[in-house]
Amino acid sequence: MTKVLRQIALVSGKDLRIEARSRQTLGLVVVLGVLIVVVLGLGLGPQQVASGMAATAVLWVAYLFGGVLCFEKTMAVERHDGALAGLMLAPIDRGVIYAGKLISNLALMVALALVVTPVAVVMFGFDLSASPFGFAAIMAGGFVGFAAVGTLFAAAVSSTRLQGGLLAMVVFPLSLPLVIASTQMMARLFGEGEPLGSVGLTVLIAFDAVYLVVSWLVFELILEP
Amino acid sequence: MTAITAESIMPLADAVPGTASPAVAMRRLSKRYDERWVLRDITLDVPMGSYLALLGANGAGKSTLLHTLAMLSPATRGGLCLFGESAARPSPALRARLGMIGHQPMLYRDLSAAENLIFFGKLYDVSRPKQRALDMLERVGLADRAQSVVKTFSRGMTQRLSIARALMHAPELLLADEPFSGLDVPSVRAVSALLSELHADGKTVILTNHDVRQSLELAQRVVVLRQGGVVSDRPVLDADAEEVTREVIG
Repeated sequence: MTKVLRQIALVSGKDLRIEARSRQTLGLVVVLGVLIVVVLGLGLGPQQVASGMAATAVLWVAYLFGGVLCFEKTMAVERHDGALAGLMLAPIDRGVIYAGKLISNLALMVALALVVTPVAVVMFGFDLSASPFGFAAIMAGGFVGFAAVGTLFAAAVSSTRLQGGLLAMVVFPLSLPLVIASTQMMARLFGEGEPLGSVGLTVLIAFDAVYLVVSWLVFELILEP
Repeated sequence: MTAITAESIMPLADAVPGTASPAVAMRRLSKRYDERWVLRDITLDVPMGSYLALLGANGAGKSTLLHTLAMLSPATRGGLCLFGESAARPSPALRARLGMIGHQPMLYRDLSAAENLIFFGKLYDVSRPKQRALDMLERVGLADRAQSVVKTFSRGMTQRLSIARALMHAPELLLADEPFSGLDVPSVRAVSALLSELHADGKTVILTNHDVRQSLELAQRVVVLRQGGVVSDRPVLDADAEEVTREVIG
């Protein structure tokens, strides 16, 4: 078990080191996320902005589009110069590659959220101090499930020529239950001041568990050098 | 067609007294992409410590065969055993006995030469990976560029680093897919010397190449593929360059 964890850390550590050096993904993703929040926030106008549902939906749109870019970019690193074949030759379980990529994607999405969320707080007047842990729990649940699906399909789509558009088309519908659950919980949390219910969180955790297990199992089948 | 398993191949190898399992045993190995068969019923044994050159025109199936031997893509039918173990569901230990040099370097452009080698060394559980990486860089003549990122390397340097990556874990079987393509003369000499050194160390080398004369100088045995099938298989001592070239061209 320790060996597998060490291998996962190696794969994700390598991705994050490449990102820290090239800064190609994060810069792009953050700019996109901020633009989405600001443009949609201004476009909706003050009345819609005041509505909790519209505001949280805009925030999730930024996370979703930014996330898809993260998934594409971390997989593109493996497609350059056939690096993925080098990984696949190594004596590691294919699931290790999946888990390593998943962690890299989650780290990038968290970095995206750290920039985009404060912008949304200012634009939409969220009061994060009302329930910071509830907010963090919804984010964590939503991000893990979304990254689980996104990492899986990024690997599948990366061997095709369609890439960007196709990945979004596949991942968005599959993530719909997560997005709906997360958005509604967040809207209730900030819009109506309701405490975080255990049902909503259970739904999120159940989705995460299913997506993670299925993705780990099928990753080997979809991976092509 | 019945798949050949390790169990069914082992007795064949053991039937010859004093011989171990071959490094590679293929039985009617076939591979299909969509409706096209790119490998057809290939049956070959590659003994341990041998140096085999696979020759063939473009599209003959050389790279596909090496990818299948590397367990990067499964055969459509037939059997493959490496070191007496079935390649159908390869164990990590079996994967660790293989190294591959491909058309592409299989390196990370934004990492330095040393970082690439250390990363792969750790994946293979190489002891003292940093020291091993420095040793390998020395061996391929890149010690002075250890900290340079790969994207600044020339084609020849990248290829030498790719060889260092493939050798980081001291594999027993090296699959080299056209390792000389795009290299200048000094780099070709350096790479062919490295492959010969490996063979002299007792490793098994399978090389694909377009240059018939060079292959006959380097290898012990030459196999010609055409349209996915084996058309000739002979020791280089019995091979005439002109004749082999005719077989390649068809």
